[in-house]
Amino acid sequence: MKIKIDKKKCSGCHLCGMVCSILHLGVINTEKSAIRVKKDDLNTSLSQPVLCRQCKQMTCIEGEQVKASAERKKFIWDKSRAERCPFNALPSSGQIAYHCDLCGGKPQCVRVCTTGAIAL
Amino acid sequence: MVHAWRKVINLQKRELWSKSTMVLDRKIAFIDLQNETIKTESIPLDLREKFLGGRGINMYLLSRRYTPDLDPLSPQNPLIFGAGLLTGTLGFGSRINITSKSPESGHLGDSNMGGAFGAELVKTGFSHLLIKEKSKRPVYLFIRDNEVQIRDASKLQGLDALETQRKIRLELGDEKIQVACIGQAGENLVRFASIRSGLKNSAGRTGMGAVMGSKNLKAVAVRGTLDMKVAEPKKYLRCYLGNLKKLMGTKWANALSKNGTPLLFHNANTMGFLSVRNNQYTSVGSRGYLLEAEALDPYSTGMVACFSCPVHCRHRLWIKEGKYEGMRVEGPEYASIGSLGTKLGCMDLQDIIYATELCNRYGLDTISTGTYIAWAMELYQRGIIDQELTEVPLIWGDGKLICEIIHRIANRKGFGDILAQGPYAKSFFGEESSEYLLGVKNFPLEMTDERLPKSFALGMATASRGACHMRSRPSIDVLGLPEEVLKKIYGGPISKELNSYSGKGRMVWWHEVLNALCDAIGFCRFLTVFSSPHAPQYNEFSRLILLCTGLKLTPGALKRIGERICTLERIMLVRDGISRPDDTLPKRYFEEPIPEGPAKGEVISKEGFNSMLDEYYRLHGWDKNGRPRKTTLRKLGLG
Repeated sequence: MKIKIDKKKCSGCHLCGMVCSILHLGVINTEKSAIRVKKDDLNTSLSQPVLCRQCKQMTCIEGEQVKASAERKKFIWDKSRAERCPFNALPSSGQIAYHCDLCGGKPQCVRVCTTGAIAL
Repeated sequence: MVHAWRKVINLQKRELWSKSTMVLDRKIAFIDLQNETIKTESIPLDLREKFLGGRGINMYLLSRRYTPDLDPLSPQNPLIFGAGLLTGTLGFGSRINITSKSPESGHLGDSNMGGAFGAELVKTGFSHLLIKEKSKRPVYLFIRDNEVQIRDASKLQGLDALETQRKIRLELGDEKIQVACIGQAGENLVRFASIRSGLKNSAGRTGMGAVMGSKNLKAVAVRGTLDMKVAEPKKYLRCYLGNLKKLMGTKWANALSKNGTPLLFHNANTMGFLSVRNNQYTSVGSRGYLLEAEALDPYSTGMVACFSCPVHCRHRLWIKEGKYEGMRVEGPEYASIGSLGTKLGCMDLQDIIYATELCNRYGLDTISTGTYIAWAMELYQRGIIDQELTEVPLIWGDGKLICEIIHRIANRKGFGDILAQGPYAKSFFGEESSEYLLGVKNFPLEMTDERLPKSFALGMATASRGACHMRSRPSIDVLGLPEEVLKKIYGGPISKELNSYSGKGRMVWWHEVLNALCDAIGFCRFLTVFSSPHAPQYNEFSRLILLCTGLKLTPGALKRIGERICTLERIMLVRDGISRPDDTLPKRYFEEPIPEGPAKGEVISKEGFNSMLDEYYRLHGWDKNGRPRKTTLRKLGLG
């Protein structure tokens, strides 16, 4: 399963990020979410959602003695993995990277995206 | 290896939960600009229970400082920022109210703003700011997690609202900072200057930008990173998803998502309640297609949303050819298309977009700007003022001229300096000019003409901040619903005819109360019962508040909060000496039937108007003169 992004449709509402942090951490903080909306709000007001692309070849865990299948199910990752992501798609703050675990198979961000910018 | 990894996890956990707040823990900062002191206080739970937040707590704070002789541009006038109780949460918009005594009307000032500023403010741990006195030097505020700084703004002086925001982000080195600021108009104390944030968010009405300018305060910048803890996360999410489905199932939300508020232009024009040439006419007939929502399509590159809004009603535009080639903006809303377009006889959409952008950059309220220019144009048309005063011929519909006047108003040059004084320009135009400035409580009317829709007419007359359609906006009777349905919504008989007076007092009362509540919660009134009876309201709000904050308030208690806010605002107006004779409409509405078009012949009858007003006062618990009764004050805990 993969979440597809159509950046032209993103309205920049941040509902996706809020739902993500509520579901995983029980708090509202769009900076502690696996999906991040990059904004250019003082120029073109274009917005772009960014999140893990669920690559088959996981460059992000290269060199680690871990099982890819187990890591895919985790939400909290170490920041070093975000630095290894070739697409710069893993949001991070402090020492933590936030990885999209697809909500265990039912991604909730997709449910609140009324524009269809993020879809399965 | 395992040990080291566990250490990393522990570090992450500590970091993960280190900085958090709860909705009910949000604080208020009292900022004294003269002495540069900051005092932080928590907001008592009983105050939250009585007023929630946003406009509610703002009015509580203002009412304790509001006196009839308080000069709005004096240091003593407080400027209050208040984010709604649920601003910044998963809800229906994320709004903030900015409140003070208005330098435009001289009475209650209050303006509500969307965008992301309010949501960013609450992430700092503050929901309210009370700014008092006047700084000796130009300053701006920078608010971070639990901290307020006063910073030098001398390098920001003279910059427009967009440049100011960019420069602050650059200076502080953070792109995520949200800024509410004034442009040149606020610095120059134009009485209808706005406070601006982002490309187009405005606390537009009642001149809050002039109050900010009078304090030597250029901007408020905010950047918060605190987590907001939710009382019952999973139930809250489930409840939200249910409400979202309900809202997005309405025709109104879908239409608004596609076309934004410009969709309202078509209705107003075809039914005949548009302001044309300062309300001398009320429709532009078949030429309306030039300014209808579809006319924006060639320029639209998509829609954008405020923080936490599923509806995304704001146009993002890119003009690729013509005289404004290369211009990229957000908006304009229907209010600006009407106020800077038809009201001035201008039918050139590109000129209107540009004029709106000028107002946004200078930090001017587009509605008031349009209305004062329209007033001057009608005075010129009637020969009450001439070119000796106006410097240029004030010809209806000249887009270039409109933009030139906007430049002069913002910079207070020549004739613009006179118009910058808003209603007080009467003293330059002579006594005869008064009747052509269409307003209520010294505050100008907007982009519509209310002689046809009687509920709107009453809403204009009674709005606590002076002529304002958004205090009530009772528009469900436009939908032509059966009267049984209207009775079910409003709890009493309502005529479905737009031009009937029957039951319209009840409609206005009902919407005023709900909208006051929305402003206290921080939700957008477009997403409640605005133009759709099926949108979320009291029951849904009660549940969301409980699951998000833990605060148990029944739908009835929420209604009382709305009532309390309306009555508290009325108390301040009563202190100013306002009573029944002030809850009225311009002479033109009572004496001049609409001369042509779809609403030809419509006028407001004194008798019909008074019957609506009686019903409205009774439902609010105010006496025949519009003074809140003692029993009402006691019931609402205001006595």
